[in-house]
Amino acid sequence: MKPLQKKLKKFFENFYLVLVLVFLYAPIAVMMVLSFNSSKSRSHWGDFTLRWYGQMFESTAIMDALYNTLLIALLSALIATVLGTAAAIGISSMKKLPKSICMGINNIPMLNSDIVTGISLMLMFIAFGISLGFKTILLAHISFNVPYVILSVMPKLKQTSRYTYEAAMDLGAGPAEAFFRVVFPDILPGVLSGFLMAFTMSLDDFIITHFTRGAGINTLSTLIYSEVRRGIQPTMYALSTVIFVTVLALLLITNFSPSRPAAAQAKKAGPGPAFQKGLLVFVSFAVVAGISYTSFLKFSSSHSNELYVYNWGEYIDEDVIRQFEEETGIHVVYDLFETNEEMYPVIEAGAIQYDVVCPSDYMIQRMAENGLLAEISWDNVPNVSNIDPTYMEWSEAFDPGNLYSVPYCWGTVGILCNAERLEELGVPIPTKWADLWDPRLSGEILMQDSVRDAFMVALKSLGYSLNSVDPAELNEAKDLLLAQKPLVQAYVVDQVRDKMLNGEAAVGVIYSGELLYLQEEAEALNLDYHLQYVLPEEGTNLWIDSWVIPWNARNKENAEAWINFLCRPDIAKKNFEYITYATPNKAAFELLDPEYQNNRDVFPDTNGLDNSEVYRYLGAEADDLYNTLWKEVKSR
Amino acid sequence: MSQPLIDLIHISKSYDGDLILDDLNLSVKENSFVTLLGPSGCGKTTTLRIIGGFETPDTGNVIFNGEDITTLPPNKRQLNTVFQKYALFPHMNIAENIAFGLKIKGKSKSYIDDKIRYALKLVNLQGFENRSVDSLSGGQQQRIAIARAIVNEPKLLLLDEPLGALDLKLRQDMQYELIRLKNELGITFIYVTHDQEEALTMSDTIVVMNQGYIQQMGTPEQIYNEPENAFVADFIGESNIVEGTMIQDELVEIFGARFACVDKGFGTNTPVDVVIRPEDIDLVKPENGTLEGVVTHLIFKGVHYEMEVTTPNGYEWLVHSTDMFPVGQHVGIHVDPFDIQIMNKPASEDEEAVGVNE
Repeated sequence: MKPLQKKLKKFFENFYLVLVLVFLYAPIAVMMVLSFNSSKSRSHWGDFTLRWYGQMFESTAIMDALYNTLLIALLSALIATVLGTAAAIGISSMKKLPKSICMGINNIPMLNSDIVTGISLMLMFIAFGISLGFKTILLAHISFNVPYVILSVMPKLKQTSRYTYEAAMDLGAGPAEAFFRVVFPDILPGVLSGFLMAFTMSLDDFIITHFTRGAGINTLSTLIYSEVRRGIQPTMYALSTVIFVTVLALLLITNFSPSRPAAAQAKKAGPGPAFQKGLLVFVSFAVVAGISYTSFLKFSSSHSNELYVYNWGEYIDEDVIRQFEEETGIHVVYDLFETNEEMYPVIEAGAIQYDVVCPSDYMIQRMAENGLLAEISWDNVPNVSNIDPTYMEWSEAFDPGNLYSVPYCWGTVGILCNAERLEELGVPIPTKWADLWDPRLSGEILMQDSVRDAFMVALKSLGYSLNSVDPAELNEAKDLLLAQKPLVQAYVVDQVRDKMLNGEAAVGVIYSGELLYLQEEAEALNLDYHLQYVLPEEGTNLWIDSWVIPWNARNKENAEAWINFLCRPDIAKKNFEYITYATPNKAAFELLDPEYQNNRDVFPDTNGLDNSEVYRYLGAEADDLYNTLWKEVKSR
Repeated sequence: MSQPLIDLIHISKSYDGDLILDDLNLSVKENSFVTLLGPSGCGKTTTLRIIGGFETPDTGNVIFNGEDITTLPPNKRQLNTVFQKYALFPHMNIAENIAFGLKIKGKSKSYIDDKIRYALKLVNLQGFENRSVDSLSGGQQQRIAIARAIVNEPKLLLLDEPLGALDLKLRQDMQYELIRLKNELGITFIYVTHDQEEALTMSDTIVVMNQGYIQQMGTPEQIYNEPENAFVADFIGESNIVEGTMIQDELVEIFGARFACVDKGFGTNTPVDVVIRPEDIDLVKPENGTLEGVVTHLIFKGVHYEMEVTTPNGYEWLVHSTDMFPVGQHVGIHVDPFDIQIMNKPASEDEEAVGVNE
């Protein structure tokens, strides 16, 4: 009995431990596995491949970001280590009260939330007229790293007798010599672990970097974030794997290094290994100083002929940028945003003066209404004639008179159906939004988890405008959404395509931009069911992303040259093939492969879109109403 | 006649408004072993740190070998310090510790190696070159600290309570070791301690300090046998300090009884303090003593018995004797004239601390 109990106890102890570890590390393991998956799908295993790693190393965006990340981490950690160590020495020789005050002040930034630190740093940089860029990220990282260095050096200083410093002076060493030969080797483990901690913190940081970075500069974390909208590319899994392994290695070094120097030194009798170590630190410092000097040159070199572009992640073929630079001699500083809502305050604040931006329909209206846009001089954009007049007409919904914007990509929102699954359920292929209320589809529906898209479905099925601000209509829509809720499997954003590819649901509301990718992937995976896109009869949301020029653009003519360039048929074609979102460029469309031209999912018949509408900005009051009602739907 | 190696002239120092040293004057001759003795906070360590160069006096001058070194930094002074907590460099081995000062002076490797060997032999730690600091006992570490200082051949060695952290037996061994070193090397030692026994054992000259003043300066015998005030008498060894009246030269009245003594020049009928060491009191039969009392306390101390004898006025006399008198026995107290030390009474509390260095 007893040994059995013991065995059971042991088993459960181990089981629990394993469970904890699995919870902690399973997600990372999944990501690592996916980084070797030849299929882009997150749920299907293709074959083992190193392709994503190859692509990662080939992408200049990723490599630039990696270079920035490492350079900033290294420089900020080094400078913070020097500053922090000096500060710690000063603090440690203070009297008790000032010392505890100083340590308290030192601890606050660490406890402070990153978002407060990030925003306040950004505000300060703007207030003092420091243009955001590489150096502001560096300054921000130094400032949040210093407290960590102080925190890790202080205990070492406490252990070190102040008499050793005096003893060294007594034996003839000058103050500097006494510090570097006697005190520094003593606190070196603390300094090193402070350095490594600062390095990792800098490597990890997203929020503060996000707020303090300027145009065209990305670190890995901000780059990954900017890709979220179009779905994270597998190269990012590869990159994240590399980062994880790097951080893991650093942590291992941090945790196992402090014991090592002591042990090694006990054995060594040679002259001052500590001195050699100090030398090493200085040599590496010199190297970094060199690198930083060149990179400062790189980042601060002012091009007289520049263009600051602000675009969605993964929303252009990088070759197009290169080609533009070659042909025009204009240097492009290319920067990414994630959502319209994130882009808006950046333009509004004017901290970074972008020359050309690519927002969506309703946001263009909001920017125009708030005077954030400059009128385009159409004389400088002759290629706009390549844009199908239909889309210019649509644009009038948010840009009356076509003053500010040139359409770049467009698409629809529709229903993606798994035909075989529907057949099994005995449900015909849906033709309208109202079909999403069929009780036989219980647990088979995927809805978009965004307020406007969800209400669009309900409003349209009721026959109302998707820009409705009538509270009665909206309440009706809300009730309808509540009625649908039991049937909905999940409210999701970009998992719709993966779940549909995986055969997890019968129908899902999806953006047409995803379709080409879906079709290619479905073919590659050899699915035994096929996915079909339906544009509902009641009409749907037509979305357009267009290029606009902010009011404070410094290089307006370059911006117009850029827009003109993108309207060129060959360039628009190249972009379409990369982005796979429908192009409004008539001339480019004609150059496309017939296979694409005839793809009605990507290029639906514009005549069938009569009932469809473009989102408009509804004003703050209506926004609040939408959000309140949506919250009610989600929380019931 | 040897000449003064170091002169402290009108040194004052205060921290945050607390006066630590007040107009201190001290002269140390070459080749002497001078001990600064006093309770904690008396200013003895501050004095040493001023000589070492770790503190700068607010006023006054430090003259070393005829040269004013008041503002000279420690690394430029031809003297070395042995610190209270040894202050060995933990990341260096023993040889590196000892070689530290010589390396900074740029001595040749062979010279340094010779010196290391010589110094380790001097402190009886041959073969310890490659040991780490952590592997040494407290006494060994202290000897290394001394070796590290003396290889630089300083003219003056400052020792700041170097034996304070050691246990009794080790402390006694080290005391002999230090005396031997001093004699072998011919270096001047200035030694700081609060341990009066240590001071008496090792010093040529003892400087008793209290509250920033020098209370008395003299040979160990002078300090012990002829304390100049109650503080010195109380601090050095145990003693009975009682109030008395100097009737005339060579006659003092204590508790109504008259004792013959050897002190003169206090005038007549002057109130004085009288110091009598416990071992100087002879207990005799009641009828043979000058004062009469009862033994009220008895402890065996090994070398002697420690007794308390209470006289009718209630004063408890501390007595050390190799003869034992049981508790309750009536005894007489006898003191030889030369064992009685007469001191002027301080006019006020403050004057108790007044220096005698004017």
